[in-house]
Amino acid sequence: MSRQAPLVIDNGTGYTKMGFAGNSEPSFVFPTVIATHQSASSGSSNTSAGSGARAPPPIAGKPSHLASKRGIEDLDFFIGDEAVANSKTYSLHYPIRHGQIENWDHMERFWEQCIFKYLRAEPEDHYVLLTEPPLNPPENRENTAEIMFESFNVQGLYIAVQAVLALAASWTSSKVNERTLTGVVIDSGDGVTHTIPVAEGYVIGSSIKHIPIAGRDITYFVQQLLRDRGESAQIPPEDQLRVAEKIKEDYTYVCQDIVKEFKKYDSDPYKYFARFAGEHSVTGRKYDLDVGYERFLAPEIFFNPEIYSSDFLTPLPEVVDTVIQTSPIDVRRGLYKNIVLSGGSTMFKDFGKRLQRDVKAIVDGRIAGSEEKSGSHLKSSGVEVNVISHKRQRYAVWYGGSLMASTPEFYNVSHSRVDYEEYGPSLVRRFSVFGSAV
Amino acid sequence: MILLESHSVIINDVLTDRFEKASRADIQFVDYDNVRFHLSTPETKSKILLSMGIQCWPDLLKYGAREYLQNEYQQYLLPQEQTEPEYDVSLMIDLEQLPESVEDRNSLISKLSHLKSVAMSSPFLSAFQEQSNLQAGYKDAGGAQQKDFTSEQSAETKGELKIIRYREEEAIYIQASNDRVTVVFSTVFKEETDKVFGRVFLQEFVDARKLNALQNAPQVRYSNREPPLEIRHLPGLHNGEDWGYVTFVLFPRHFSNPTQAQSTINRIQLFRDYLHYHIKCSKAYMHSRMRYRVAEFLKILNRAKPEVATAEKKTASGRTFRTR
Amino acid sequence: MSNTLRPYLNAVRATLTAALTLENFSSQMVERHNKPEIEVGNSPEVLLKPLIVSRNESEKVLIEPSVNSIRLSIKIKQADEIEKILCHKFTRFMMMRAEGFVILRRKPLPGYDISFLITNFHSESMLKHKLVDFIIQFMEDVDKEISEMKLSLNARARIVAESYLSTVSCPI
Repeated sequence: MSRQAPLVIDNGTGYTKMGFAGNSEPSFVFPTVIATHQSASSGSSNTSAGSGARAPPPIAGKPSHLASKRGIEDLDFFIGDEAVANSKTYSLHYPIRHGQIENWDHMERFWEQCIFKYLRAEPEDHYVLLTEPPLNPPENRENTAEIMFESFNVQGLYIAVQAVLALAASWTSSKVNERTLTGVVIDSGDGVTHTIPVAEGYVIGSSIKHIPIAGRDITYFVQQLLRDRGESAQIPPEDQLRVAEKIKEDYTYVCQDIVKEFKKYDSDPYKYFARFAGEHSVTGRKYDLDVGYERFLAPEIFFNPEIYSSDFLTPLPEVVDTVIQTSPIDVRRGLYKNIVLSGGSTMFKDFGKRLQRDVKAIVDGRIAGSEEKSGSHLKSSGVEVNVISHKRQRYAVWYGGSLMASTPEFYNVSHSRVDYEEYGPSLVRRFSVFGSAV
Repeated sequence: MILLESHSVIINDVLTDRFEKASRADIQFVDYDNVRFHLSTPETKSKILLSMGIQCWPDLLKYGAREYLQNEYQQYLLPQEQTEPEYDVSLMIDLEQLPESVEDRNSLISKLSHLKSVAMSSPFLSAFQEQSNLQAGYKDAGGAQQKDFTSEQSAETKGELKIIRYREEEAIYIQASNDRVTVVFSTVFKEETDKVFGRVFLQEFVDARKLNALQNAPQVRYSNREPPLEIRHLPGLHNGEDWGYVTFVLFPRHFSNPTQAQSTINRIQLFRDYLHYHIKCSKAYMHSRMRYRVAEFLKILNRAKPEVATAEKKTASGRTFRTR
Repeated sequence: MSNTLRPYLNAVRATLTAALTLENFSSQMVERHNKPEIEVGNSPEVLLKPLIVSRNESEKVLIEPSVNSIRLSIKIKQADEIEKILCHKFTRFMMMRAEGFVILRRKPLPGYDISFLITNFHSESMLKHKLVDFIIQFMEDVDKEISEMKLSLNARARIVAESYLSTVSCPI
């Protein structure tokens, strides 16, 4: 029997990426949001009371006639972009919070449409690869398996840790010459940035660090800079965030020396200032504005957070160094050697170069210090620091999943339907890493 | 979403995007019933090759699928020998020679995204054609022969039995006769729950027609284990506990004009997927009911636990404090 | 509520309340251990007479008391194939979450659909009459839930079939 391409679905807090294994890009990327038809009152009680007191699912009444489709209210919903478009008449819910699934009812229905409406696949014919955040409780995996096997009858299931997939995705980079599953993953999406050390496919949970600076903050920062320079007067108020986002995506880069960069801009502003041309989304009025220092200042908040936030002051390179220093000593060398970027907010030009330089400086400083303390008797051979950026960075997790699911080995490590029937959902507690030997 | 759509969202999205601006592509994806697609730009960015591999292609070919596709897609369809290896049909879309107007482009996109349903239509259409021929022939023969229904004559009024093995184990059987076209689906349920749910659903399909509003719907029959008469003579039919046979009886009014025929075909094709989709949705619904009920039970049980006085106290801002 | 259900539940309630007289009893086999005797079952002198309260053939409750633990197994009404599968699904779903329901046994006794195991630790830390209330409430609600699920399944199936056929049917 010819096997059909496995489905790869990466449900993130902000966006869901899904497609078929073997492709280089996900076929669909849309917000992880579900719009359900619910009266406003029950919707608000939902959010305030939390998981303890949920509104009961609609109870099917006797169908009276065809026009009123009573009894299948639970099929009346939209997901993704369509959900956002229908937000006026429906209420929006975000089933995933902080990377973990909060509302299983919504998530189950979200998957329902993912598979049947968008991917158009009969789950009985496919294996499925799902992702989970590091430190996902095993109960959540069990619930996921229960839904996938019992509701959808999938042929097989593999739940992979996002960071591990991001590492696998970096194998495409030309800088990588050995395929290891040891490294530090810097995953920066819209809401939060994680630095996750992984040793041989296993996440070192105790050393994970979160940085509360990510894509959304950069957008706000750009907006703030524009406002400070008086450029935002040109932009209609309702478009400000959108314009800031566009500028962030199209014009920004990471500079190597902030002081020099300022001088460069001041000496020859015409060369470095860029023009941004926009159009009012409603009236169609054209406007344009100058894009100046924000071009290099925006991503700078990773390296000098004090320019943006007053709560969080540790620069990213230092966080990376701490993460590695708190990991077991025998993997540290491997971790320094393989620092992998993943997620949209690491896409800035020269981001990797700068990070590598700064981490290297910290490491070299420490080595020099200890050499001096030893009275220059001991010489270190040095530590190799490598930051790897690659073409698939934006959807690195998904791409890693696609890569893994297209290997023949995938079928051996996945949990199959037969196994599920024998062991039940506790099957997914057993975790098998693969790919390191590929 | 109650009804499944009959077009492929991926083809639709990708082509809409590429018609705006040409760029490289190499995407493999699937559709229901073991259909594989490959959308690529093998030579230049502006030439999109869309290939489809479909499990029942040998069957479809027998019933004139190739001619029908040729008719529908004309210049876009690549000849047999240029078809991409491992696939059954290839279409080539040259982005430099697209229709000018926006409507034409949109209708082209929509037509291309229906590739699978078009390919699967041919046996249905040829059965419809056969039916109208038989009907004409039947009328010509007049009432004289109608008196005695010998087996020979009754066989005469029936068209060829078309078999489409569209999945590993399941098949569609289509047979035209002088006043109707019979479509039989063989279905198998792999799981106990599916089997029970499936039976409930299929029973409702049979009963639904009693409703006044649905008098014009095709007649549906459902038989568990035993294959219906139309196909009973075929070798290799399963008749175990897991098997069921669903028969749709289409009357000429269901395919009287081409648009009507096409919409009927699109629906009928997706019958199995529709059924399975709804079985899965019901299971999901049951899950959410059970989650709610279990949470309720847990609340009742927790009432049995005496109040714990030493709960952590929090201020409005979320900080904890201790009373001394 | 039908006429026979009330006496049935009352009988279970009375039996259960009477049986829930548990004390801390150390194992006679293993020193310094305390095991639910009803599960271990190797010292017959501490086991009490099991009792079946039965409403009809398909609905009954088995109560097995012992000195420090009590096992209660319920056979839930299953009139047809659908109810059987729904009941199976529901009890399975619940037993998957046995962690939360401290008194729920992860596996039912053979011949029954769901079993509870109440030990002296439970009856000491929880209010006894509320525990009984829970069991009774459970028995009441589970029947209701299953028949409601069955109804909604039928309703759904009908709508699904009607919506499908209405798109294929044509006006004459």
